[in-house]
Amino acid sequence: MQTTTTLPRSEPALPTRRFRLNWPRGLVVLLAALAIFVPLLLIFYQSFLSAPFFAPVKTLTFDSYRFIFDDPDFRQAFVNGLTLATGLALIAVPLGGMLAFLMVRTDLPGRSFIAPALMVPIFVSPMVIGFGYVVSMGPVGFYTVWVKNLLSVFGFEGDPWNIYSFTSIVIIAGLTHVPHVYLYASAALRSLGSDVEEAARVAGASPLQVALNVSLPMITPALAYSGVLVFFLGFEVFGLVLVLGDPEGHLVLPTYLYKLTNKLGTPSYHLMAAVAVCLVAVTMPLVMLQRWLLRSANKFVAIKGKGARQKALPLGKWRWVAFTLIAGWLLFTVIIPLSGIGLRTFVSHWGDGVNLLDVLTFENLLNVWDQPSLVRGIINTVLIGVIGGALAVACYTAIALAMHRKQDGVTRFLDYSVLVPRAVPGLLAGLSFLWVFLFVPSLLDSALKGIDNPIALWLVDSFIPALRGLRSTIFSVWLAYSVVWMAYGLRLINTALLQVGPELEEAARAVGASRSRVTRDVTLPLVRYGLVGAWLMVFLIFEREYSTGVYLLSPGTEVIGSMIVSMWAAGAVELVAALSFINITLVAVGLGIALRFGVKLHD
Amino acid sequence: MTELSVNDLHLDYGTGASVNPILKGVSMQLQRGEVVALLGPSGSGKTTLLRAVAGLESPKAGTIDIGTRRVFDGARNFEMPAEERNLGLVFQSYALWPHKTVADNVAYGLKLRKTPSAEIAKRVKEVLSQLGLGHLGERYPHQLSGGQQQRVAIARALVYNPQVILLDEPLSNLDAKLREEARAFLRELIVRLGLSALMVTHDQGEAMAISDRILLLNNGRIEQQGTPQSMYQTPNTLFTAEFMGSNNKLAAEVVSREGDRVTVKLDGGTAVATLRGREDAKPGEQLTGIIRVEQVRIAGEQTGNAIRLPLSTCMYLGDRWECLFKVEGGPAGSVGLRAYAPQRLDQGEYWLSLPEQALWAF
Repeated sequence: MQTTTTLPRSEPALPTRRFRLNWPRGLVVLLAALAIFVPLLLIFYQSFLSAPFFAPVKTLTFDSYRFIFDDPDFRQAFVNGLTLATGLALIAVPLGGMLAFLMVRTDLPGRSFIAPALMVPIFVSPMVIGFGYVVSMGPVGFYTVWVKNLLSVFGFEGDPWNIYSFTSIVIIAGLTHVPHVYLYASAALRSLGSDVEEAARVAGASPLQVALNVSLPMITPALAYSGVLVFFLGFEVFGLVLVLGDPEGHLVLPTYLYKLTNKLGTPSYHLMAAVAVCLVAVTMPLVMLQRWLLRSANKFVAIKGKGARQKALPLGKWRWVAFTLIAGWLLFTVIIPLSGIGLRTFVSHWGDGVNLLDVLTFENLLNVWDQPSLVRGIINTVLIGVIGGALAVACYTAIALAMHRKQDGVTRFLDYSVLVPRAVPGLLAGLSFLWVFLFVPSLLDSALKGIDNPIALWLVDSFIPALRGLRSTIFSVWLAYSVVWMAYGLRLINTALLQVGPELEEAARAVGASRSRVTRDVTLPLVRYGLVGAWLMVFLIFEREYSTGVYLLSPGTEVIGSMIVSMWAAGAVELVAALSFINITLVAVGLGIALRFGVKLHD
Repeated sequence: MTELSVNDLHLDYGTGASVNPILKGVSMQLQRGEVVALLGPSGSGKTTLLRAVAGLESPKAGTIDIGTRRVFDGARNFEMPAEERNLGLVFQSYALWPHKTVADNVAYGLKLRKTPSAEIAKRVKEVLSQLGLGHLGERYPHQLSGGQQQRVAIARALVYNPQVILLDEPLSNLDAKLREEARAFLRELIVRLGLSALMVTHDQGEAMAISDRILLLNNGRIEQQGTPQSMYQTPNTLFTAEFMGSNNKLAAEVVSREGDRVTVKLDGGTAVATLRGREDAKPGEQLTGIIRVEQVRIAGEQTGNAIRLPLSTCMYLGDRWECLFKVEGGPAGSVGLRAYAPQRLDQGEYWLSLPEQALWAF
C-alpha cells in the first residue's frame, strides 16, 4: 500500500511539511497542461470566429459550422471516413486476431523472420506506403505493367486492378492496420495461460476449434480494444487517402481539411478550425472508449495457471495454407510497396514499354543534394529523431514520474490530459501549434502595449521576438511531435516504471531517502535500459511522422515527412521516391539497432 | 486389463548443446479401476510424464499405449495429437474457460464429439449432480469457490467417459482446510465411479491417501513403486525413505554386523538397526540412519535399544508435543533427534528407544 508512506505519523513532529509544495512536480504539470490544452483551446476558439484570429475584424459566430455543414464535400468526406474506418476495422480485427494466434500459439513455419516483418507497416509512414502503391500498382506502376504484359499473353487486355477506387483504399488501409491488432492480440495471448487451450485440446478440440472456441473469445477485450483503436486510426488516415484518393477525388475529413486552403484560395482558418472541432468530436469519445475498454479488460483475466512450458499447437496439414496466407499478406503490404519505391528511386522514368535496365540511374538520389531545403529536411529529420527523441523521452519521464505511485487529483488530471493529444490527428496538431506560435506572441504584444515597466519591456523586446523566432526553427516541429505522441511515449515510460517493484522504492524511503532521492538513486537507475528502449521507439515514430509537420513547414523547419507531402503536391515523383527511400533507410537503421539490442517493439 | 502403458519413455527439453533430459527411461502400467500417483520432488519429471501421456509434450523415444491404441511411438516417429487421445485431464489451475458457464464448460467435450444436444443436457446434469454441483450450471467460473471450481474441472474431464483420467496436482490450489475435505471427496468419487486415474502430486500424504499404487520419481527415473503401505513401511532406498513420512536422519557408524542386523554408533549411544539396500556394509563404515519421528519412544529410565540425549526444546502441535533432543556443544549443524510426547517434558536427559525394525541403516 503506497498510502502508508504518506501517512502523517511518519513525521509527527513536523505536520506542516505535508503541505509543502512540490515545485518540480508543479512545474511539470503546468508545462504539460499548457502544451496540451493551449493549442486545443485555440482551435476551439477559432472555430467560433468569423475570420482568422489575427484579422482586425472578427466576430463570434456559428458561420463556419454552417458553411461546412452545407458543403456536400464535407458530408461526403464524413461518410467516406466512417466507411473507411468501419471497413478497416472489419478487415484488420479478424486478420490480426488469427495472425496473432498463428504466430503465438502454433508451429507456423518461419515465425522468426515473419515477426520483424510484421512491424514494418507500423513504422513506415503511410504516406510512403501510399506512394509505394502508386508506383507499384498504380495505372503505370511496375507490377501493373508486368501483370498487364503477362495477361496479354493469354489474350486478356485491360487494367488488372484499379488502386485508386475507394474499395482499394479501404482494403489497403485495412491490410496495413493488421499489425496494430496483431500487437494487442498477441500480447493478450501471451499473457493467457496455455492451460485453458490445453484443456480444450484434451477435451478433443482441433487447433482451429481451440482458436475459435477458446483463445479468441478469451482475448475478446484485447480484440475489442484494438477494434476501437483501428476504427479510430481509420478516422485519422491522411497520407494514404491523400495519395491514393486524389485521382478519383475521394476525400476523408483530414484530407478535406488539407484541401480547404486550396478550395477558397485564402487561409480560411475559421473553417479549418470548425472541421478540426468536428474531427475531435468524433475521435475524443473513441479515445475515452479505448481507455474504458483497457480498464475493464482486467475484469476478464482468466484464472491463470502455472507457466507450464508450452508446446506449439501442431497445425498439421494447415501449416502451409496458413504460411501461404501470411506470405501473401506480407507480399501485398510490405514487399510490393517498398520494392516499388526502391525501384522508382533508381529509374529516371517509367511507363508502358520502358525497359528497366535502360532507365537505371542514381540521378534521383543525387538530385536531392542539390536542393538545400531537402538537405535541411534530412538533417532536421535525423536531429529530431536522435536529439528530439532524447528530449521527448526526458519530458515524458518527468511527466511519468510526476504521476508515479501518487494517487491523487493531480495524477488523475494528468492521466486524462495526456489522452487529449491522442484524439488530435497529427495534421491538426501541427495546425494548432502553428497558431500557437502566431497567436501567443501577438496576444502578448497587444496585452503589454502601453505597460511601461522593465519586465513588460523585456518581454516585448526579447521574449516575444524569441517566441516568434521559434516558429521558424525545428523546435516548433519538435514540440508538436512531442505533444502528439505524448500518450504513446508515456505508455513506454510507464511500462518501464512498472517493472520496478514498489518494495524497492519503499525500502529506500524506509532507510531515509526523500521522494526525489528515491527517484534519482533507485527508480531512474533501474529503468535506464527501458528509457534507452523508449528513446529508440520515439526515434522510430519521429522518423515516421509526416502529417504533424505539414502546416509547420517553412524554411528551417523542413522534415522528410512534410517535404514528401509538399513534393507530392508539386508532382515531383522522383524526389518523393528518393525521399521515401531515405526515410525507409532511416527507419530500417533504427529498427535494426532496436532488434540488435533486443528492444521490445511493443508492450 | 491395462488401460495405460508407458514403456522406456525418454524426453528432453531443448536441443543440441543446451539439451536437458527430463525423463530418462520411464516405464509404468495403469490397470483398469486403479489409481496411480506420480510422486516426486519438483523437477523430478512427474508433471512432464503426465503431459506426455496427454499429448502436450513430445517425448524423444519410447512408447505410450492407451488401452489397445498406440498413441506415441518414438521409433516410428508417430505421435497422436492430444485431441484424438480421448483422455480426461484435470489441470492444477483447473483451466476453466472463463467465458463459458459451468454447464458450457462441461458440455464442450460432448459438443466436440457431436453428441445430440438433448443427450448433452442430460449427461451434463448427471455429472454435475454426481459432483454436488447440480444447482451451479448457469454460473460462471469466477462466481464459484476454489473447491467448486475444482469439481467443475473434474466434471469436465469425466463427462465424456474417457478411458483414463489424468489429474495434475488436483488439490494443490486449495487452501489447507479445504484440501483435506477434497482429498476424501476425490478418493470416494474415484472408487464410486470405478475410474482409472493417474495423478501427479508432490505431497506424499495426498498420494498415500488417494492412490492404490505410488510411483516415486527421482530425477527422471522411477526410484521405487508399490502400494502406499509398502512404500512407507519398506523403502528400498534412502531417497524413498526420506521422501515418505517425517524422519530423523542420523549419522551412524557400523560397529558390528550379523546378516541384516547391524549395530551402529550414534550420538548418545549405540543401537541395533536394520540394514536396507546396503548388503555390503562393513564395520567402521559411515551409514545414514533413518527413523520415523513417530517410532521414537521417550523413556525416563534405560530401556532396550535406546540412546541417551538431553532435551533441547519442545514445540506444541495441538494434539501432542514435538520434542527435540540434541547433544549440547555437539557439532554445528547437527539436527538432533525429534520425537513426539503426549505432554511437555521437563529439562534433562532422556532415554530414546529406537525399535530395531524401525531404525533403518542406508
